[in-house]
Amino acid sequence: MKRTRRNFSPGLARAAIFVFAACVLAVGQSSPEASLPQVHLDADGLAPRPIEELTGTTIARQYALAWHDLAEALEFDRSGRIDEGFVGFAKDRLTQRISEQKQAGLHVRIVDHGHHLKAVFYSTDGTAMQLVDQAQLEIQTFDGNKLLDTQNASHSYVVLMTPGADRWYVRDLEEVSSKSF
Amino acid sequence: MKRTPENGFARFAGLSILALLCMLPGWARAAELQVPAVVEAGRGFTISVDGSGQGTFYLVGPDHVVKRTVSLGGDLQIQSSDVRAAGRYQLIVCGSSCNSAVFDVKAARPAHLSFFLHPSRVPVSTPDSIDASAFVFDQYFNLVLTPETVDFRIAPAGGAGVSRQVSTRNGVAWMRINSTPHEGRVQVTAVLDKVEEARVIQQVAAEACGLRMKAVTSGDTAVLETDPIRDCSGNALPDGTVVSFTKIDKAGKSTVDTPIKKGVARMQFSMHGPAQIDVACGVVLGNEIVVTPTGKL
Repeated sequence: MKRTRRNFSPGLARAAIFVFAACVLAVGQSSPEASLPQVHLDADGLAPRPIEELTGTTIARQYALAWHDLAEALEFDRSGRIDEGFVGFAKDRLTQRISEQKQAGLHVRIVDHGHHLKAVFYSTDGTAMQLVDQAQLEIQTFDGNKLLDTQNASHSYVVLMTPGADRWYVRDLEEVSSKSF
Repeated sequence: MKRTPENGFARFAGLSILALLCMLPGWARAAELQVPAVVEAGRGFTISVDGSGQGTFYLVGPDHVVKRTVSLGGDLQIQSSDVRAAGRYQLIVCGSSCNSAVFDVKAARPAHLSFFLHPSRVPVSTPDSIDASAFVFDQYFNLVLTPETVDFRIAPAGGAGVSRQVSTRNGVAWMRINSTPHEGRVQVTAVLDKVEEARVIQQVAAEACGLRMKAVTSGDTAVLETDPIRDCSGNALPDGTVVSFTKIDKAGKSTVDTPIKKGVARMQFSMHGPAQIDVACGVVLGNEIVVTPTGKL
């Protein structure tokens, strides 16, 4: 049997390489790491216990993950998204809110422009850290597909985070007037 | 008034500024929806809504979402149950167009204390060794961010109680105190108005102080026994604390760990000629003795 040889044109090869590269780029950009909001942590003067550098890095990353999950949960009415990053009061409240907004046919889109976290209290036994977050958020509220309202402003939050088996969780997330600080 | 080009320009400029102001969302909202800037958690209130006919009212809060049809041009009641969680609320009323406003709900009066006392066991007479942290919450478990004074009442067993007042910052009050010289339980109670939370820790003896042993030989066997082991404040170290005896003789070096029983540590060595023996408990070294098979030197 005669063996036939297939010839690939250089143009086809270039197109294939381009498609592959685009897919890699798309996968990379769709990963949670790529879409995490910017979080900057300032822990100067933290009391009664100073923070270790690794703990600070972990907290900033997991707070960013928590906001990423929160934004998805509020936009797509998926309360399951907050299971990984939230516990306690924060989780209970968000779960209830998502359930009620789903029932009402609402959803909220958060365009996250970043967070400036200031650690203000870290308990000696390492079981609780309180932080103040100055976040720049654009919050769009929809009823179905109808845009009801857009708020583009600075938001202040008092945050309580506690460590779990392998990560830090948001235990309390309370928005406050920026005049509070 | 005579119409001049200057007057016409001034009127145009004034109307333009007014039109721009009306287009600003904050200004328009303020005109349409008058909401209080801050509301206490669990307190309902009433707002008036301009317009006529039917509209849709939305309230979006930290844990609660309301959507209902309302009659425009009247009062709108926000129920106390709608504003229990502290945080920012968004209120939207839609008729032919939508208007919105935001308001903050702040925590009500303190009703709960979440109190942590650390550690559970602490050596006596150790500076800054006891930490107390109290988080102040209202009846809906909102963190109370306005400064409140928490009274920490410290009652050591068999000693005089002391009290220390600490003001909260961002809802948290914390303090650090020294442990007292005597072992036993210490109760610390955090008090705020009528709310009280008590925790107990145990003060235990610190490191051994003046550790001494004696030896009695019988043939080639040495029986070692310490004096009652106490810390520098006179508190007996608890049974189970490990004491190490180390012997050096012709056979080499040998260390044996033994727990304190009934306040003293005992052990027995076989000797190969004269032996040098020392005793230690934790970081504290005791006396050193040399014994021979025929008796103590």
